[in-house]
Amino acid sequence: MSSAITVRDLTKRFDKVHALTDGRLTVERGEIHALLGANGCGKSTLSKIVAGAYAPTSGTVLIDGKEVSFRSPRDAEEMGIALFYQELSLIPKMSVEANIFLRREPRNGVGFIDYAKMRTETLNLLAMFKDAIGDDIQPDALVADLTPGQRQIVEICKVYAKNPSIVIMDEATAALDGRQVKVFFDILRKKREEGVSTIFISHRLDEVFEICDHATIMRNGAVVAETAIAETTTEDVVHMMVGDVKKAPKRQALDDEGKKPLLKLEGVGSNLLNDVSLSVAPGEIVGLGGLQGQGQSTLLRSLFGALPITSGTVWLNNEQVAIRKPADAVRRKVAYVSGDRGPDAALPGRSIFENLAAAILVSEKRKLVRAKELRPQLAEVASAFKTKYARMTDAIGTLSGGNQQKIFIARWLATNPKVILLDDPTKGIDLAAKADLFALIRKLAESGVAVLLYSSEESELLDNCDRIAVFNDGAVVTELSGAEMDSFHLTRAAYGEA
Amino acid sequence: MKSILSAPKSGSTVSKRPVWLVAFGSLVALVLINWFLQPSFFDGMVMHSNLTTFLPLTLVAIGQTFVIMGGDIDLSVGSIAALVNVVTVTVIAMAGGDAASVPIGLLTGLVVGVLCGVFNGLLISYLRLQPMVATFGTGIIFSALALWVMPQAGLSVPEVYWMTYSDFVLGVPTVLWILIAGFLFVLFMQRRPFESHLKAVGGNRAGAFQSGINMSFVRLLSFALCGLFSGFAALCLTGETASGDPLIGQSLAMGSISAVVLGGTMLSGGVGGAIGSIFGALLLGMIGNVIFFAGLPFEFQTLVQGLIVLAALAGGVLVARK
Ligand SMILES: Nc1ncnc2c1ncn2[C@@H]1O[C@H](COP(=O)(O)OP(=O)(O)O)[C@@H](O)[C@H]1O
Ligand SMILES: [Mg+2]
Repeated sequence: MSSAITVRDLTKRFDKVHALTDGRLTVERGEIHALLGANGCGKSTLSKIVAGAYAPTSGTVLIDGKEVSFRSPRDAEEMGIALFYQELSLIPKMSVEANIFLRREPRNGVGFIDYAKMRTETLNLLAMFKDAIGDDIQPDALVADLTPGQRQIVEICKVYAKNPSIVIMDEATAALDGRQVKVFFDILRKKREEGVSTIFISHRLDEVFEICDHATIMRNGAVVAETAIAETTTEDVVHMMVGDVKKAPKRQALDDEGKKPLLKLEGVGSNLLNDVSLSVAPGEIVGLGGLQGQGQSTLLRSLFGALPITSGTVWLNNEQVAIRKPADAVRRKVAYVSGDRGPDAALPGRSIFENLAAAILVSEKRKLVRAKELRPQLAEVASAFKTKYARMTDAIGTLSGGNQQKIFIARWLATNPKVILLDDPTKGIDLAAKADLFALIRKLAESGVAVLLYSSEESELLDNCDRIAVFNDGAVVTELSGAEMDSFHLTRAAYGEA
Repeated sequence: MKSILSAPKSGSTVSKRPVWLVAFGSLVALVLINWFLQPSFFDGMVMHSNLTTFLPLTLVAIGQTFVIMGGDIDLSVGSIAALVNVVTVTVIAMAGGDAASVPIGLLTGLVVGVLCGVFNGLLISYLRLQPMVATFGTGIIFSALALWVMPQAGLSVPEVYWMTYSDFVLGVPTVLWILIAGFLFVLFMQRRPFESHLKAVGGNRAGAFQSGINMSFVRLLSFALCGLFSGFAALCLTGETASGDPLIGQSLAMGSISAVVLGGTMLSGGVGGAIGSIFGALLLGMIGNVIFFAGLPFEFQTLVQGLIVLAALAGGVLVARK
């Protein structure tokens, strides 16, 4: 009998990024198969190819022994394949039921949507989670009004509404709580008995060992091993995920141990953060590690005043501060740079000059600007960053991603910041620009700035930080420093095995 | 951020309130004001003539809604209307200019309208041009074609055309029948999956694609619908003016977009509906009326309309920020 899924020699390139270099996978009927690997190793890319959302650059996919070449997710759906999208495929401004049945709306005789039937079927699907959520999710609620966990449950319902025989769960448990995970696992087991094949991608190894039959392990875009879960250990799996552990170049520890921290957090909490304590000395770069979405970005945004902090204290220079809005942060010389350049940072369509000046205006409470005065000052900062631009008056959009990012860091430089919060700052920029950027960040630190860096790529943290605080579910679970700063310890801590 | 803290137990109340409620309320208010300023407002004749004036914009606004719900915009609707107008009039004249040639002219006109919409849709959904830029460009092309077909206003249509349009059918004004048909069409579309797919495309392109929606086709259809309704509007204008004019309908693009926004449809796509746009279009018309009867100079009309649209847009932003 042929396997449910067979993937051979699959590759995928996005322009210059080789997201997948050697995708291989065999999943049998009625098994739960784990797909493991560090962030950015290509799990989601592989999943999306199998589900028809990406076309592969080369390679073959066989479903039940037959070669397929999907042109859209719809083709894959017709073969019984359903994918839980890690970033969710929901439409925020539509209701739960409309989302679950999007494109597969039940219709009546005249081709109208059969709302009554849609309601009943939605309630049936939601009832799978009854033990964990009761009737918290109403079929007519807007998805935008749901919590992240509830949205994941809706996405799970959307998957099972298609009655799939092959299911891919790409980090479907990331925002679920313990009880919800338990119910979800019961569903997975029941589906396994019905002969459904599931590919299970999770950031918690204990979950994988609890529910999976086999595991395929990936590293840097390639599959490196396949094993039965019963024949391996978490230790082995982590080793396979990270490969040969190379020691991070040892950075000289800060000699003056007694140095006063510039930024100090004590038991900081909010709805998404849980009792975070941290301190950063001037000159230090502290990394925020862990799997994506465990509270790292939330912490940075909260410190910048963009999200609320509801408990705990923040000390800046031994002074207790309350930062309620970004303007407070800017005036206290706290800077924030996000990798999502578009919505967060750029004044789109405006000139490089205007983008550079934005932060100064807030920090100096300036209302009127004499462009002539500011321009030389800003040109100096921009050139310090080796930013390549033709004219200050050119639109920001004319710059490459890396150069835009430099402009956004440069704009804070002009305000002489004391603390810099970097929120995945290298997202989507090329290697050379990355190197420039980190050289710059190091230089800033050496001038006495305290840096908090979150990156979704662990190598960036290992290469550039003095210490790493590892996050899980909104809390710091471990702090790595010195000899422990290697990818083995980081991965293990991130996967909750410390 | 409140939404993350506590999911409401039974949906949000905002989502349950139809988006057109504000437009409808304002319309009722303006009707009352107008009635006060012009006591004859509810006379059959006055209503009939008002409706005749408001109908073309209302039809275009219905079509424009579909495009905007999908996250696009169509600036060429006015030019499409002009082209359909001159084509219809010319074809009727070429086919003999008698009563029998009228249906041929109407049909040709509508086909031209749909083709213009399909052309816009192909450029935007398949060649991936920016909707604003593409329809600005095609609008110029359609205008040029209209001038080429008929360089100067002229040619009259057979009496039966404009007579039927301005008359009654089964005791009800023709224009009211058309408005009712528009309403029914909108209600019909509301219950069809297409509108839901269109909103998904406008609300989250990636999610719509991942849900298996054929996005290019859905967007193409929305432009085709918009072309069709611009065509309907042109046929109404033809019935009203009884002749061809290559420069007709120039205010329809901005007017229809304003009506759609006033009706509660978000310019960013994904939220709204054509019911609101119908109210929005009537509302715009009523604003004009009230300004006239209040004795203010005509130029105020555009100014006030502009301010109101601006307020509606700002209101939308404030709601979205909340
Ligand atoms: N649409 C895309 N465009 C460009 N690069 C991408 C895209 N999707 C993924 N990548 C890149 O491909 C690599 C693999 O990503 P992904 O499959 O999401 O990894 P994983 O799911 O294992 O975390 C990453 O380096 C990522 O930056
Ligand atoms: Mg992923």
